[in-house]
Amino acid sequence: MTPELATKPEPNADPVFLVEGAKKSAKKPIEIAIRLTKVTKRFGAKTAVEGVSLKIRAGSVYGLIGPNGAGKTTTFSMMAGFLKPTEGAIEILGYPPDRVDELRSRIGVLPQDALLPGADKVGEFLLHMARLQGVAPSGVEASAREVLEEVEGRDWWNVKCGALSHGMAKRVQLAQALIGDPEVVLLDEPTAGLDPRVAYEVRQIIKSRKGRCTLVVSSHNLAELEEVCDSACILDRGRVVASGSMTELTASSEEIRIKLSPGPAPIAFVRELPMVKRVEWDEERRDLVVYFDRSGGSVGTSVDAEHVIGAVLWVLLQNQARISAVSKGRGLEQRVMELTD
Amino acid sequence: MAQRELRKSFRSAKGVVLLFLSLLGGTAATLILAWIQQQVRDRLPDPSPEGMQAAREVALTAAFGDPMTGHSLALAPEVLLAVFFITVSLTPLLISLLGFDSVAGDLQHKTVRYWTLRTRRASYMVGKWLGVWATVSAITLTMHAVIWVVCIVRGEAPAATTLSWGARLWLITLPMSAAWCALTTFVSSLFKTPIVALLATFASFFGLWVVYLLGLRYDITALTYAYPNTFDRFLIHARADRWMTGLGACALMTALYVGASSLIFTKRDV
Repeated sequence: MTPELATKPEPNADPVFLVEGAKKSAKKPIEIAIRLTKVTKRFGAKTAVEGVSLKIRAGSVYGLIGPNGAGKTTTFSMMAGFLKPTEGAIEILGYPPDRVDELRSRIGVLPQDALLPGADKVGEFLLHMARLQGVAPSGVEASAREVLEEVEGRDWWNVKCGALSHGMAKRVQLAQALIGDPEVVLLDEPTAGLDPRVAYEVRQIIKSRKGRCTLVVSSHNLAELEEVCDSACILDRGRVVASGSMTELTASSEEIRIKLSPGPAPIAFVRELPMVKRVEWDEERRDLVVYFDRSGGSVGTSVDAEHVIGAVLWVLLQNQARISAVSKGRGLEQRVMELTD
Repeated sequence: MAQRELRKSFRSAKGVVLLFLSLLGGTAATLILAWIQQQVRDRLPDPSPEGMQAAREVALTAAFGDPMTGHSLALAPEVLLAVFFITVSLTPLLISLLGFDSVAGDLQHKTVRYWTLRTRRASYMVGKWLGVWATVSAITLTMHAVIWVVCIVRGEAPAATTLSWGARLWLITLPMSAAWCALTTFVSSLFKTPIVALLATFASFFGLWVVYLLGLRYDITALTYAYPNTFDRFLIHARADRWMTGLGACALMTALYVGASSLIFTKRDV
């Protein structure tokens, strides 16, 4: 996929998405919450991000994917207004990220490597953030306690930020990003360094926010992104190498993968199925990849992945094949491996 | 932001230690000065209060080149005047130690990002300056208050005179400390490593002092104006036009440093 595809409007886009938070600021309805236009960032002679263009729909969960040094955090930091683009333009809810007055209370950010102020108690820090976020004075404490409870840190109110463990600090950072119910939430590596249980809880929090705000998640954890994101872009060496909905990126509407156990492998019968376009069989790994025609091929009626899985499994089982795994599409991990060096 | 900075300073070990040292230094200086004053009195031909005041008036008139100021300052307790000049000289050191990491500390670990997202960067910078200034003012006020108590207890001057002159002399230090705080915040905002910011702050203060000395040595008055403490002689002056000049100069210097740091901070990456 070429970078140009990044700016292409995604298929089946809702005409206008009114995010819940929009009502409090009585702003005009927004379809695109975040827009990057040919954004480039250079640090001296080094180009960290080059010509990145993105459109992130309001209300969606969007993933920033890529290997180390791909430009994810730089892109993220420019969206949050921490870094200024060398070229190009960024709009968050229709404003450049440095328009703090217009964006205050409408955006929350979890920066990856920003330490909490060690001398502050968690409660004081969150109260301060809530005030700056524009939460009404009468609701400041309630708001701070609510987000702290959401990240399961209700007992940390009087604990100094400097005394928090990595996992606890990460959750307090997440709490400050969610304070005041912002319309756009940017999360940079929200589960990095967390134990599996806490990471799971953080994913649940992200999922619970789906539809209430626009979420941008930058992460190395591809399984996590595949689980929570509606759409994503893959960055490599500062450029967008692919973007689109998660279905498009993983090609889950065009191919299925089946792993067979030792025994018969009736591949020829699968090839004969009318909706099947092509079949790849790896004898050594016993991986079967079936590419299908969504229009149904000679069947004439459109088919989806579930339909094809049913048909292929039927043929395989009829011919005594032993099936050990079935999946739709390539999986985000494989897709990223294909597109990045 | 300023309130938070104030709270942070007095909670930190650095703030508490500096407050303790200031109090200790202030008390010690007062006792030493009172002892010196007593020695001088014992050697004077006319050690009566009137004779002392007349001697002070002559000396202060000569120092300030203005009889009105000499007459006015001669009414102040000597110890308070001496402590005032000592405070003015040492406040830059206190300010540099208190404020060198005000911004650099936030930049070092990117803590600043929690604030720049929600506040205008110029507001952040003004808040930082105000926070350092408020902290320094609170420490010097506490130190001065201890000195007033020592003066009153030792009977150096009547309580009303001590408190009235003490408050006036403390207020005079504020415009100068505002300028020093602004310079410290400016230097701090240029560096991401606090220790580098501290060294740069010392270097810039020392540089201004050298410029001041060069101005005095070669009689180039304009050079001396780069050094905020130059204006102590203006601010303590009895003539309104003189102290207003001092106040205006300190305000201008403060505005320039805070403005410059805000401008640079607004343009830079954090």
